Order: sequence, then C-alpha cells, then structure tokens
Amino acid sequence: MGTINSALSIISQALDANQQALNVVANNVANANTPGYTRETPDWKENQPLNENGNLIGQGVSETGATSQRDRVLLTRMDQQQQLVSSTGSRLTALNTLQALFTVDSGSTSSKAGDIGSDITSFFNSFSKLEANSTDNSLRQGVLSAAGTLAGDISNAAASLNEQRSALDQETSGVADQVNSLTSDIAQLNVQIQTTSPTGDAGTLEDQRQLDLTDLSKLVGINQITSNNNGLAITTTSGQLLVSNGSSYTMTTGLVGGVTDFFVGNTDITSQLATGGGSLGGNLTARDQDIPSAINSLDQLAYSISTAVNQQNNAGTDYDGNTGTAANPLNIFSQPTTVAGSAASMSVVMTDPNQIAAASLGNGTGDNSNAVTMAELASKGIVNGETPTNYYSNFVTTLGSTVSNVETENTAQTASLTQLQTQNDALSGVNLNDEASSLSTLERSYQAASKVFSILNTVMASVLNLGEQTTVS
Amino acid sequence: MRVDPFYVTNLVSSLNQAQANEQQLETELSSGVSITSLSQNPTGSGENVLLLNQIQQDDSFTASANLVTGQLQVADSALGSVVTQLTQAISLATGANNGTMNASDVKSVGNQISGILNEVTSFANTSYQGQYIFAGGQTSTAPFTTNSGTSPAVTSYNGDQSVNYLESPNGQKIQLNVPGSQIFLGAKSNSVFGALNALVADYSSGTVNTAQAVKDTQALGTALNYVSQQRVTIDNSMTQVTASSDAVTNVQLQLSTAQTNLLQTDYTTASTQLSLSKTQQTALISLISQLNNAQQDLFSKL
Repeated sequence: MGTINSALSIISQALDANQQALNVVANNVANANTPGYTRETPDWKENQPLNENGNLIGQGVSETGATSQRDRVLLTRMDQQQQLVSSTGSRLTALNTLQALFTVDSGSTSSKAGDIGSDITSFFNSFSKLEANSTDNSLRQGVLSAAGTLAGDISNAAASLNEQRSALDQETSGVADQVNSLTSDIAQLNVQIQTTSPTGDAGTLEDQRQLDLTDLSKLVGINQITSNNNGLAITTTSGQLLVSNGSSYTMTTGLVGGVTDFFVGNTDITSQLATGGGSLGGNLTARDQDIPSAINSLDQLAYSISTAVNQQNNAGTDYDGNTGTAANPLNIFSQPTTVAGSAASMSVVMTDPNQIAAASLGNGTGDNSNAVTMAELASKGIVNGETPTNYYSNFVTTLGSTVSNVETENTAQTASLTQLQTQNDALSGVNLNDEASSLSTLERSYQAASKVFSILNTVMASVLNLGEQTTVS
Repeated sequence: MRVDPFYVTNLVSSLNQAQANEQQLETELSSGVSITSLSQNPTGSGENVLLLNQIQQDDSFTASANLVTGQLQVADSALGSVVTQLTQAISLATGANNGTMNASDVKSVGNQISGILNEVTSFANTSYQGQYIFAGGQTSTAPFTTNSGTSPAVTSYNGDQSVNYLESPNGQKIQLNVPGSQIFLGAKSNSVFGALNALVADYSSGTVNTAQAVKDTQALGTALNYVSQQRVTIDNSMTQVTASSDAVTNVQLQLSTAQTNLLQTDYTTASTQLSLSKTQQTALISLISQLNNAQQDLFSKL
C-alpha cells in the first residue's frame, strides 16, 4: 500500500527531475550560437514500479541526463560535401585570378592593352603593312614595335602565372600545420571519448570532435572509419592513415621540383591530396594542373611564333642585303631552345629594323616577297597545326570553359551542402522557440509538482495532528 | 517536422547573391560589354578573338591599300606621260621621214627626240618615297642609264625582274609593280629605249636613211603599244586595290556588327534583370528585418 511518505518521495524526485531538465534547456539556450553545439534533450526515465502483492505501483520519474540530437550519417555526408565545396571553391578562386589575365577584348583601343589575341593579329598585320612598301623605315619599325608588344604581353602573362603559382604554393604549405593541429586534437578527443563514453554518444566531446572534422574537411579530403569504443580512424580519401584512435600521424612538407610536396612518413601524398578534396585539393589542382596547363599553352604559342618567324626572317634578305647565317642569325625574337619556358623568356632581340628580311633570298632590297610569306604565317598552322589566332582562341575557350565548369560544380555542390546543413541544423540546431516551449512546459510541470508537494504536506500535517488543527501546520 | 533555426543565415547568403548579381549587371550596363570574363561565355570569348583578328586584318589591309594606291597612281601617271612623249616622238619622226626637211630641220628633230629620250629616261627612273618604282627589287638604284659612247647609244637596265604583291585578307594577290625592263626594254622590236636611241642616231647627221628611219619609227610605234599594254597591268592593280578595299570594308562592317552583337550588353534585358534583382533584394532585406524582430520570438511571450 502506498504511503504519504512514498508520495512525497515520488513528487520530490519529480521536482529534481524537472530541475535537471530545466538545466538542459538552460544549457541549450546558453549554447544557441556556439559553433558545433548539438542540441540536447533531457532523458526521462520512469522509475522501476513497486510490486506490492502482485500490484505494480508507479514510483515516479528520474532524469538520467541529456542526449545530443545527432545524425552521424548526415554529419559524415556533410563533411564529404564540405570537402567537395572547399576543393572547387579554392580552385575557382585560383582560376578567377588566372582568367583575369586574359581579358575579353572589346576591340576598343582602351581595351587592347595586354590582349595577346590582338597582339598576334597586330604583329602579323605589321608584315602585311610592310608589303605595301617594304623599304619604308616606319613600317619596319612597326614590325619591331608590334613584336615587342606581343613578346612583352606573352612574357608578362607567363610571369604573372608563375607568380600566381608560387603564391598558391606558399598558401598550401601552411595547411600542413593546420591539419596536424586538428588531427592531434582529434586523437586526444578519441582517447577521452573512448574512456568516458565507449558505448553511447559522448555529447560535448563529440561536438568538439565533429567541429574538428568539419574544419579538417575544409582543408583536405578525408575518410572516417568508426573504430572500437566510439573511436575514430581518419585517412585521406586515398587511404593514407592520419588518425588512428589515440595516435595521429604528422603531415610534413618538403620541396620537390621547386614546389611544396606533402608527406606522411616517407610517403609523398601530394597527388592523392590534389584529387582528394578540401581547399588543399583545389589549390593543388590549380597549382599542378590548371596553371601549368595555361603556361604550357603560352609556351607553345611563344615557341612556335618565335621559331617560325625567326626561321622565315633568316630565309630572306634584309634591307642591307644581308642574309642570316648560323653564326649571325637575323632573329627577330630570342630563339628559344625548348618549348618549356619559351613564354616567360620571349623577347625581341632585333634592334635594327633594317634587319627585317622583307626580300626573298638573293632578291633586291625593294622586293617584298618574304614579307608576304611572313604575313602568310598568320594563316598557316604553325602552332601545333593551328594558326596562331585559332590556337589562342581555342586556349581562351578552353580556359573559359574550365572556369565555367568549376563555377557550375561549385554552385551545385554549395547548394547541396546548404541543404545538408539545413537538414542538420533542423535536427541539431538550438531552436529558441522550442526551448521557450520546453521551458514553459517544465515550469508548469515544476509548479504542478510543488503544488502536489504542498498538498501532500497539508495532508501529512492533518495526519500528524489527528484532527487537532493547531499542533502541526 | 523540425525546421532549420538558422534559416536567416541562408536568407543572408541569398541577399549576398542578389547583391553580387546586381554588381555584375551594373558592370555590364556601365561598360556596355556583356562578357566581362572568359568563363561568362567561353565560346563567345573564343569567337571574339577570331572576329577581332578578322576585323583588325581588314583594318590593316585598308590602310595598306591607301598606301599602295599612291605608288600605283605615280606609276600610272609616269607611264601616261611616257605615252604622250612617245606619241610626240613618233609624230616628229614621221615628219622627218617624209623627205621634205632640210638637214638642219632633221637635226633639230633629232635633238627634240633626244630631249624626249631624256624625258622618258627620267620617267622610267621615277621614284616614290625615295624608291625607284620601275626597278623591280633593286629600288635603291636608278634602273636606267644611257651609255652615249656608241652610236646608237645604249640604255641599259640595272634593276631586276622581281614583282611585289599585296595580299588581301582573303588571299588575293595584287601586283604592285612592273619591272622596268618589261616596260621599256621588251623584246628587240618592243624596246622603247632601243627605238628612241636608234632614231636619235638616224637624225644626228642631218642626212636621213629613210628606210632605216621608217623602220625605227615603226619600232617605236610597236614599243608605244607595248608600254600601253603594260600600263594596263598597273591600271588593273589600281582597280583591284579599290575593289578589294571596298569589299574588305564591307566585310569589316559586317564583322564589327557581329562582334558588337556578341559583346554588347542587351540593355533591355540587363535593365529588367537589374530591376528584378533590386526588388528581390528589397524583399529579402525587409523579410530579414521582420524575422529578426524580437516580437517573432516565443521567448518574448513568456
């Protein structure tokens, strides 16, 4: 049979439970804007009933703590998406800087500056103009001046690309330290979580570990593997171990071929990281793929134009009646020996306009047939089988398409990440309205329990006084 | 169903997106150019390179055409004068050959023809901007010199046979010069200088060998016709230059239109989009400020 005492005990436990639940609400409200915080809900547990002569009598409620509202699958998915977004995002930033070097020329004189496409046309046009009067000094000067502009713009563009590449290299080399700090942090948290909460959610500790994982996902592409006792192993997307339970493996950097490479132990993981994701992946892709490809295109262009023009100029007779020889070549551009580096080193070596060989070999200096041939180079497939202008046009289109594709990818990935974040926030974010409502409910519940307590107290007084009104109140 | 309590953050990123969009549209409107970066229209950017190349080539050809027109006109005018001089020489010679003149008159005709010879030599040595235009490729040396040591005197050619061409953007080659030897020293019966030198020799003594003089006069007539024929080449070139230049100007106009269409901002569309974007921005701002209002919070009702 239940006693008044047991009722008092049940209701005082209820007061405790409500008090604890109010603490959970207070903690939620306090952490409403804390990054990485996961909303907690109080755990209520019905107390074991009392079996009295076969009758089960309820024994009230206990508050056994709080559970973080977390969806691990969703979080892992969000981390993966974060790696993609960071990768395309940083690659896009690099590509935007890259494409700014190749502006769209509207054809007005003000926009012509620095446009390699117009430079190529102007250079070959200067030979067409020379056709009109191959002995005219100003037209000859025009050829050298157009050649200077072309060489200057190509070598400037190549220099800017090289600078951009070293800037990216510097930026990436700092990432290793950030990664190491995060992985050692995760390893420590693994130990704490395995000790304190081997079977269940570790609450705040897991919030911190998840925050580290999100930060790590912004930097590099990772795989997460849950291990024993709530531990976590982390590898790069291609399987290089970074964290295993309580141990973390340091990522180091070293110069290989003039750029920073990344190592774990003695393994060079640079190419794995480039395809893996995260901002490091995007920057490495830009550093090792996009920029070198643009430089290579410019090198090819510079090499082919320099070589073809020099060769043709040496095949003619200049205004002084001379013809280029191996010992004294009549080169307009400095003759590159290899394709690589041609763009950066492109320059005009001819200073005397008389050395332009407008006449064919052995012809009088008034002859213009070699100038005609040089102007015709503009419509010949001298750059990898394409005309210089077509080659440049294709380069521009390819570069633009690459940037545009990465832009589209990034937009789609960001939209998907936002959706995942929305889903996760809906589950794990602190909703102040919810908390206000819980607060109200718990307040009412607490009030009700205290009312019950106070009535029970009155009942108990009545029992103690046994009808005497004044002894105990 | 639970909702994302941080949806205002998403609204703010929409607001940023709207502002970025407006900036882009404002750049397009103020610059008048719709493609401001390669990635905005990759194929358009590539096409623009090709169009500009064509336009600039055409532009350059038009400038060159103006330059060569001057030279062709000088050549044509020189040959025109040569024709006049030669016609006069033939008429003088015909007069001297009919046997009615006394020795001193014949000598005088000889002197006049000698003068004409000098004139023709000077026309054959015409220069344009310091370059001899009838010298083939040897434009720095006067192409014709006369050696009076023999009788008849001999005029020789110091130039060469090279012919210059101006190539139009569509590959048409226009001849810019005719080597002097081809005009003035054709095959023996066509040689202007040969015939003139012979006539000068014929009349120098005052006594005319009529048969020889008539033959030489006829040779000069043939040479005159030949000069006129060569002049046609120059005239044809002038016509070609004008025609090509006109055609190229037309093409250039079309290409410029195409390029303008490719690059120019569509003001109507851009303004409409800008206006829509501004409306969206205003709506978002007012929405965010409403949502941030404390009255929307359940806590305010507790």
